[in-house]
Amino acid sequence: MAEITPQDLFVTDFAVREHRSLWVDAWRRLISSNTARLGLFIVTVFVASATLAHFFWTYDAKTDLDYALKLKPPNLRPTEEISTIHPFGTDKLGRDIFRRTVHGGWNSLRVGLVAVTISLVIGVLLGLLAGFYESMEITQGERVLLQGLVGLSLGGIIAWIGAQWVIALLFGLLGVLSIVFGKFLAGKPVRIALFALGGLLIGGGIGLLGAPMVGLVCGLLGAVLGAILASPLTGTFFSNVVMRAMDIILAFPSYLLAIAIVAFLGPGLEKGMIAIGVVGIPIYARLARSAVLSVAQKEYILAAYSVGEGHDRIIFRHIFPNILSPIIIQATMGLAGAILSAAALGFLGLGAIPPTPEWGAMLGDSYKYLSSGAWWAVLFPGLAIMFSVLGFNLLGDGLRDALDPKLRV
Amino acid sequence: MARYILRRLISVIPTLIGVTFVIFMFQRLIPGDPAVAMLGEHAAPENIARIREQLGLNRPLFLDRDSLVQGDLGGFFDSQYVRYLSRLVKLDLGNSIHRRIPVAETLGLRFPATVELALLSMLIAIFVGIPVGIISAARRNSLIDGVSMMGSLVGVSMPIFWLGLMEIMLFAVILGWLPTGGRLSTGVQIQSITGLYLVDSLLTWNIPGFVDALKHIIMPAIALATIPMAIIARMTRSSMLDVMQEDYIRTATAKGLAERVVLFRHALKNAFLPVITIIGIQAGTLMAGAVLTETIFSWPGIGKWVYDAILGRDYPIVQGGTLLIAIIFVFFNLLVDISYAFLDPRIHYD
Amino acid sequence: MTPLMDLKNLRVRFHTDEGMVKAVNGVSYAMEPGEILGVVGESGCGKSVHALSIMRLIQTPPGKIESGQVIFNDRDLLKLSESEMRHVRGREIAMIFQDPMTSLNPVYTVGFQIVEALKLHKGLDEKAARERAAELLTLVGIPGARQRLDDYPHQFSGGMRQRAMIAMALSCEPQLLIADEPTTALDVTIQAQIVDLVIRLQQELGMAVMWITHDLGVVAEMAYKINVMYAGYIIERGQVRDIYKKTRHPYTIGLLGSLPRIDEPPGTKLVSIPGLPPDLLALPTGCPFYARCTYRVERCLEENPSLEEADGVEHTVACWRWEHIAGRVSS
Repeated sequence: MAEITPQDLFVTDFAVREHRSLWVDAWRRLISSNTARLGLFIVTVFVASATLAHFFWTYDAKTDLDYALKLKPPNLRPTEEISTIHPFGTDKLGRDIFRRTVHGGWNSLRVGLVAVTISLVIGVLLGLLAGFYESMEITQGERVLLQGLVGLSLGGIIAWIGAQWVIALLFGLLGVLSIVFGKFLAGKPVRIALFALGGLLIGGGIGLLGAPMVGLVCGLLGAVLGAILASPLTGTFFSNVVMRAMDIILAFPSYLLAIAIVAFLGPGLEKGMIAIGVVGIPIYARLARSAVLSVAQKEYILAAYSVGEGHDRIIFRHIFPNILSPIIIQATMGLAGAILSAAALGFLGLGAIPPTPEWGAMLGDSYKYLSSGAWWAVLFPGLAIMFSVLGFNLLGDGLRDALDPKLRV
Repeated sequence: MARYILRRLISVIPTLIGVTFVIFMFQRLIPGDPAVAMLGEHAAPENIARIREQLGLNRPLFLDRDSLVQGDLGGFFDSQYVRYLSRLVKLDLGNSIHRRIPVAETLGLRFPATVELALLSMLIAIFVGIPVGIISAARRNSLIDGVSMMGSLVGVSMPIFWLGLMEIMLFAVILGWLPTGGRLSTGVQIQSITGLYLVDSLLTWNIPGFVDALKHIIMPAIALATIPMAIIARMTRSSMLDVMQEDYIRTATAKGLAERVVLFRHALKNAFLPVITIIGIQAGTLMAGAVLTETIFSWPGIGKWVYDAILGRDYPIVQGGTLLIAIIFVFFNLLVDISYAFLDPRIHYD
Repeated sequence: MTPLMDLKNLRVRFHTDEGMVKAVNGVSYAMEPGEILGVVGESGCGKSVHALSIMRLIQTPPGKIESGQVIFNDRDLLKLSESEMRHVRGREIAMIFQDPMTSLNPVYTVGFQIVEALKLHKGLDEKAARERAAELLTLVGIPGARQRLDDYPHQFSGGMRQRAMIAMALSCEPQLLIADEPTTALDVTIQAQIVDLVIRLQQELGMAVMWITHDLGVVAEMAYKINVMYAGYIIERGQVRDIYKKTRHPYTIGLLGSLPRIDEPPGTKLVSIPGLPPDLLALPTGCPFYARCTYRVERCLEENPSLEEADGVEHTVACWRWEHIAGRVSS
């Protein structure tokens, strides 16, 4: 053993072990897990093959047709009968299933990314705001904005009835005023009465210009509206409205709603993406909200407050980075879910419009030939779905272990 | 306790109103004229007129603005939305466009088939998923744990319609053991009591009927059960692992209780709450999964009917089926919430 | 007199991703029946781990009892089968834990959790067990015990839960009660009540008590002997008055020095120990306290001292220079 000097001892004793950033640490944990490595490998193969095929392997689905090669089993070398190689066989139109499977990956990837982006961006934003307003006192400026918007949108409904857009603007103004002057008016009942009167005058007065009955209805609605506006609007109100809306979407089993939406919208890959994306919003909203609520109680947020940082800065600099991990994990799992949903839509004939290669649609096209023994037309697209979904799920699982060290023992 | 349950029941009302509203608004998603979309562009004008009349398309959605301006508020009570709601209250879901029969009636007729399939799947999922989850948690990082967790991950990654197809290929086409689809073989009769063939055949002690029904249901039930089974197993495992870290588990062991008692008495009851939630969600999702599974196996339930309606653009059926499944889903979530009150003494009832 | 428990060279390791954590490094001592022993040290010094090892409650993996013996009532607990060990837990050795808020199962009533132990070890029927449980709750000072049996833990306050934990631990009249920082999570006034309660119960029931804490002040009041632990070693052990009056280890001096004393003139500075305990992943070859020690010499760097007698059999210390260190710095 080499000579140890006292100085060495001090170094090993007091210097905290090598400093590593959170992300480097997470990455090390990720690649040290076998399942995560497998997931990463599958995802890489999937993404690479889909992207390369899309850009470098031209395929025109519209002209791809050869009845002579209809429903041929896989062959790995040319035979007298079939001069071309079809490792996955051919489908009912004589199209090469291998080629279509590889190209189908691009569509699945696209659906997954677009759908997850839609749900992620909208959901996280809503959830962040809801959680934030719920956990903290909102400032005067934000209250003016919020109340003004509430007034504007509620006023819009009345304006729509009374056919007067001016009403919408006036109610928006009323909302803003209720906050700005709310403090100066004595007592809550007085304030509510005053603003109800204001609402009655605005709604009724302008409504009367159209018709007497409308004037009456608008006036009554205006009074109610004024009363709502005059009562102090808190952050919980905004949060309640958002989360109630999310609850209604969640009241449907997720992909049933997507199926129903597309059933009415009409088939199409783009419509499918939007439907799957919309249906996924509540998960992210809830995730972000609950993460914010738990983070908001932490001392470091209080500390940020106490040094006078603004709300926007606290949301994006302190809260957002802390809720990033669950969202990354959910997004990875969400990609898997979106690919599965898209395949289900395609299978039901609601996804990609033929002849666009899409895995679900390929299965939907071919499953009737299963009883006549054409197993290859069903096996390979299904395997493609399963492996790509499995890849994202494995990766998500690994990410959870890597990003959430609390869960590890 | 009663107040808590009552509050939960009441809280369902706005959700149900929201659900009916969303389903009502589906109609607005149809591009162009819904009547034309349903019957095709070359349909006879009188047919189109009939559909328009049936759907009430010639009435305002909520409120007719013009008649309002003229002071006529009565129009609201004749609007599409109000008519839709009032029909719903009377359990009238409209008529099928093509077959002109009431949707609610057919839903009622086909409902038992879907319930039988969903129930059996749920039972399979619970009675396989929970034990697998417990064993995996108790023998963490063992071979059993690794295999069952990998298996469950493959399970959730599987498109169920594809799994169904693979089952048909193996057991029906190649091995020929099981029928490819349907609910009963032709010629087999089961006297209907509950509408669930497995139950009915046992009640009437109709063994050949039971065997035939079982042969038909087993493949779709397994296909449908795969995803919930995998999810329940994973949730049970992770929930058990969480609970087993708790101090009170150490207390129980320190008391001298056997591992079995600690696991099943002290850990499981605590670990059960998240599992119950997942079971509730899966029960609803199962109904939705029925659309795909029933299609594959030609199972004469709601799902298959909705699928056919999607293809035929028979929108009232799609709306009715979606509504029924959504209501069941909401109902299951309600059941979960209520079961919490019995399982977790910390829940406040007021 | 044969000791109640004789610990011989207990070593416990934890295998983690970072490496092997040497949590307990050859701990040996004996406890007499009815003795109150204080075990003190900073967090991470191995005091809790060694207690959990006695009960064989270390999670394996990652933890592992590498070697040693725990002779209790003339048999080695570490060699017992799991089912034999279950008869020891709760019946012969009972344990109460740091956080009473989380140590009781939230979904069962307090009564159920006490009755469970009574039925298991005493073979009482439900009715007799409930009767006994109510007596126990009264004994630990919970008013209206019979009604409170059917309360859930969340209906109890923190102090009451710890009392309920003690009632549960005492239910089968153990010969040894291990209290693992039972007052750390409680308010100061409640702390004193719990300490008084345990002292009273010890006198009434005559069991031995091992009181684990980082607070030297608490054990001074109650204990007969004290083990001072550091980095998985016992570095000083002796009767309370010896430890306080004739402190022999620099670390103990530091611990005592960081304790405020009422008899000190106002304005006396509290002494704090500089630095942090060593990394248990990479223990130095020499004395583990070397880096923080103000008395160190060359030899301390190379050789780790083992416990040797100072001032008679009852007082042992692991320091090369104990002869040069005498008494508290202040007195």
